[in-house]
Amino acid sequence: MTARAPLAALTAPLALLALWQLAALSGVFPTQVLVPPADVAETLWSLARSGELERHIGESLFRLGLGYLIGAVAGLAFGACIALSRLAEAALAPAFLAVWQVPVIAFVPVLVIFLGIDEPFKIAIVALATFFPVALATFDGIRGVPKAWFEVARVYRTRIPDLILRILVPATVPAVLTGMRVALTRSWVVLVAAELLAADSGIGQMMEMGRQMFRIDVVLAGVVVSGVIGFALDRGAKAIEHRATRWKYA
Amino acid sequence: MFVDPRPPSVASADHAARGALTIADLDKSFTIGGEPRRVLDNINLSVKAGEFVSIVGASGCGKSTLLRLIVGLDADYSGEIRLDGNRIASTSLDRGIVFQDHRLFPWMTLAQNIELALLNTDTPKERRAQIVADHIALVNLKGFEQAYPHQLSGGMAQRAAIARALVTEPKLLLLDEPLGALDALTRVHVQNELQRIWMAQRSTVLMVTHDVEEALYLGDRVVIMAPDPGRIRRIVDVDLAHPRDRGAPLLHRLKDEILAELTAAPADPANLVRLPGREDRR
Repeated sequence: MTARAPLAALTAPLALLALWQLAALSGVFPTQVLVPPADVAETLWSLARSGELERHIGESLFRLGLGYLIGAVAGLAFGACIALSRLAEAALAPAFLAVWQVPVIAFVPVLVIFLGIDEPFKIAIVALATFFPVALATFDGIRGVPKAWFEVARVYRTRIPDLILRILVPATVPAVLTGMRVALTRSWVVLVAAELLAADSGIGQMMEMGRQMFRIDVVLAGVVVSGVIGFALDRGAKAIEHRATRWKYA
Repeated sequence: MFVDPRPPSVASADHAARGALTIADLDKSFTIGGEPRRVLDNINLSVKAGEFVSIVGASGCGKSTLLRLIVGLDADYSGEIRLDGNRIASTSLDRGIVFQDHRLFPWMTLAQNIELALLNTDTPKERRAQIVADHIALVNLKGFEQAYPHQLSGGMAQRAAIARALVTEPKLLLLDEPLGALDALTRVHVQNELQRIWMAQRSTVLMVTHDVEEALYLGDRVVIMAPDPGRIRRIVDVDLAHPRDRGAPLLHRLKDEILAELTAAPADPANLVRLPGREDRR
């Protein structure tokens, strides 16, 4: 990456900000509806100072972390299971692929009925949003290991533990990590959406409360915060992915 | 013309008990669309220990299948394949193979890739690094120990694959069109390397290729195969000592002869039966 690249990356957000400011100044919309960026920044600042923002972010990230952990572990196990066993694949894959087509957010009503609107519901929806991409990536990753590599292992009579640790896992890791990164940003989006629908805290709930009280500045502050967090999560996951597949960039 | 009267195998007499391959009455069929289809038909071939034998033939004549059977990746055949008297039923560290694609693992460095071959040997850990280093030096890749396969050129990667195949000191080295994916200049270079390595190691080598010149340059004998079903049409002796001169008139004469034979092959299998099925001129 050149030194100019970070600057170049800033141009689009800055242009958007300028456009937003211009639209707010034009007076086409009342300022309560189209809040100028400076006001949103001010609201963000006061939310941050009062500790309210920190509390909401903390709640949301805790749900994300726990739900993601559960979903990722389950997804890895399930994906590996249907990839390694033809029987498991035949029995489970069609149902899995059918459920995969349902938008995760469509499970909200059912989950609310069973789990209420408290923590278990939000953790469950994150776990669900994580499970599918991770399971699918794991399945594809394992199935995608070329037969040629197994033949090399057979020629050198590589023992099973070495085969798994030195060949199967490294061969699968890039695909699985990509799936886990997609799952992370996806589950963040789903979590914020679920909090908008039913929650008593979290970034989504903060936005929903703002909407109900016609504090569009709070809503927009929530938009900015959830966007920044989603971006940071994706970048962080990419950095981990990059580190784990360093050999590609050597 | 300089022809060394000494038969090439004399130099490897001390290896007499190592790496003699006998193939007797070998048949192999695949089931394709429910129909059995014969891909190798009545193959008989003896390769002496330390000998370099090339196999040429049109694509589809089963030469790669033959190597897969010999290396032990496919045990489903009828007839006999024996290495030093032992029937081949699975893979073994006695037999190394280099595939057309180098098949190095992209996440391992060159040294790690080569060391992989030693994992299931009783070589002491502290000896392994030395053996790997020796073999990297043997294929002239010193200085690239820590390079990943994608950082190597095609020729270098193929040499690395050769080092990996040799590191267990196999009695028999199988080469499955190892230079097929290389450009013409790199090919010539790696052919020279192969000859040098073989002269240093003197293990038995069986190399499949579709390049007649390459087959003649490297082989003590050249086996010519015919397709549908794959069978040996003729075996040609190349009575020329190693290291060889590419310009040797004998090589050119034999090349013209073999090419004529390969290209004149009638496509109609009915015509093929009139040709001699096997001829060992030895």
